[in-house]
Amino acid sequence: MIPSAPSSTREKIVSVQRLKFTYEGGVEAIRDVNLDIGYGEYIAIVGGNGSGKTTLAKNLNGLLRPTSGSVVVGGKPTSEQNVAALARIVGYAFQNPDYQLFCSSVEDEIRFGPTNLGYPDDVVHNNVEKAIEAMNLEHVRKLPPLSLRLGERRRVSIASVIAMDPQVLVLDEPTTGLDAEESSELMQRLKRLNDEGKTIILITHDMKLVAEHAKRVVVMAQGRILLDSDPRGAFSDHEILRQSNLEPPAVTQLAHRLAAYDIPRDIISPEELVFHLMKAIGGT
Amino acid sequence: MAAFVDLYTEADTFLHRMDPRVKIVAVLLLSLLAFLLSSLSYLLILLAFIFLLLFLARASLSRTKFALKFVLRFMVLIIVLWPIFDPSGSPVLASLGPIKITEPAIWRGVTSAARVGCLATVWYILMFTTSQRDLVRALVKMGLRFDFGLTLAISLRFLPTFGALIDSIKDAQRARGLELSKGGLVKRSRNYVAILVPTIVSALRTADMLSLALQSRAYGARSDRTYLRDLKMRASDGVALGVLVAAFVLPALAKYVFNIEM
Repeated sequence: MIPSAPSSTREKIVSVQRLKFTYEGGVEAIRDVNLDIGYGEYIAIVGGNGSGKTTLAKNLNGLLRPTSGSVVVGGKPTSEQNVAALARIVGYAFQNPDYQLFCSSVEDEIRFGPTNLGYPDDVVHNNVEKAIEAMNLEHVRKLPPLSLRLGERRRVSIASVIAMDPQVLVLDEPTTGLDAEESSELMQRLKRLNDEGKTIILITHDMKLVAEHAKRVVVMAQGRILLDSDPRGAFSDHEILRQSNLEPPAVTQLAHRLAAYDIPRDIISPEELVFHLMKAIGGT
Repeated sequence: MAAFVDLYTEADTFLHRMDPRVKIVAVLLLSLLAFLLSSLSYLLILLAFIFLLLFLARASLSRTKFALKFVLRFMVLIIVLWPIFDPSGSPVLASLGPIKITEPAIWRGVTSAARVGCLATVWYILMFTTSQRDLVRALVKMGLRFDFGLTLAISLRFLPTFGALIDSIKDAQRARGLELSKGGLVKRSRNYVAILVPTIVSALRTADMLSLALQSRAYGARSDRTYLRDLKMRASDGVALGVLVAAFVLPALAKYVFNIEM
C-alpha cells in the first residue's frame, strides 16, 4: 500500500527518504518510511506501542542516525549535523519531564537550552520570556521545577524546548498523566504556537486528541507508515486503525454504528454527529 | 552494554541444576586451591578444569569472550610487568641499568598470571549458571539476613534499568543542546550536573515507589519468612560436594602433611 500524502505546496522543513533504522541488537524499529513535513504543519504521528513512532521522532533531531536512507532537516542531512545544531531547528520534548529538569528555578531551567546553543544574551532573555508566556508559567518562574505538579512540570519541559526557538516542535505523548483541564489548556497553547507558524509534531495514541487538533495524521505500525491523510480520512478506515492497535474516538465509532441511518462514517466531532442526527430524524 | 550486567545464561545443564549453595562452596574451594598450588603445571591443569566446566555449562561464546577480555588484559599485564619489577634469580637474560630480566622471574610472572586467571574465571562458572534470584536465595539460606538479601536482589535487578534511565536522560539533555564532550574540565563536569540531578531524582522516586509497593504487599509483617521454593540438597549435589572437597583436601594434605611440592 502506498500512502498518499496530502497535496502541499508548502516548503519542506523535514524530508525523510527511504528511512530504515535498526537498533543495536537487531530490532528493526523503522523498516521503510518516506515522509515530508512542510513549514507550519500540525501533524500527529500515531500508532500502538512499538510501532516505531518515537524512533522516527528521534531520527528527526539526530539523537538517532539512519541505518540507511536519509533524513534531511532544514536542507541538510542529519548525518552531517550534530545534535546541538539540529536542536536549533527541531526541538524535542520528552514524554517524562523529569528526564530534563535539574535547575533550581523554572527560569534557569528554561534558560539552559538557549544558553547551550550560544545565543546572545538579549535573544536568550527574549526567548525565555516568550516561552514562559507561551506555557503560562509566570506564577511559578522563581520556584524549583521539581516541586511543581506533573502538568506544570511538563509545561516547563516544553517551555525549555520552545526557548531554543526551533521551527519544529516534537512532543512525545504530551498529555499523558494530565487531567482533562490541564490537557485541554496545553493543547490550546500548542495551537497558538502553530498559528504563529511553528511546525508541531505530536506523537500520541490518544485518538481524541488527534481528532480535535491535528491537521494531518500519519498512522504507523511495525516500522512502516500505513496511512497519511487528514484526520477525517484516517478515522474512516477502521481496518487500518485496528492493524495499528489504535481505537478511533468514541464519536467516530458511534457514527459507524449509525451508518444505516445515513450518518457519514467520517465524523470526528460531537457537533457534527448532532448535526447529522438532527438531519436524519427530520429536524432542521 | 546493559545486557551484560547479568551474566546468567538460561540452559539446562548439571551445573544449572546444582544447588547454588554447593556452587558457592565449590567456587570458594577452587579459589583457595589456586592459592595452594604453586607450580605452573598444576595451575594450568586447574585452569583447564575450570574451562571444561565453563564449556559444560554451555556458556554462550559471545558472553564468554566479553567476560574473558578483562581477565586476559590483566594476565598480559602481569606477564609483562612481573619480570621488570622482580630482579631476583639467575640466569639474567637482559639488563638495562637497574632493571634485570631473569628467567625465573619470567616463570613467576606466568605462574601468577595463571593463578589470577583461575581466580577470575572460576567465578564465571557461578555467574553463568546461577540466576540472581537463586544466588540471593542461597546466600539467605547460608545465613544472610533476608532483608539484606532482598536489598541485594533489588540492587542487581535495577542496574540495567538505571543504565537505560541514564541513556534517556542523556538524550533528553542533548536535545536541549548539551554537549557532554565539549569544553574544559570544569565546564565538562558542570555539564554532568544536568545528567546527575535528574538521575538521582528519578532514582529516589523509584525507591520511594518500590518501598510503597513492598509495604502494600505486607512486607515485614512478620520477622521470619516462608519460601515458595525451598532449596534442597539432592544426592547428586552431595556427590558434587564430595568430589570438590576431595579436590581441595587431597592437594592440601599432600602439601602440608607430606610436604610434597604442589
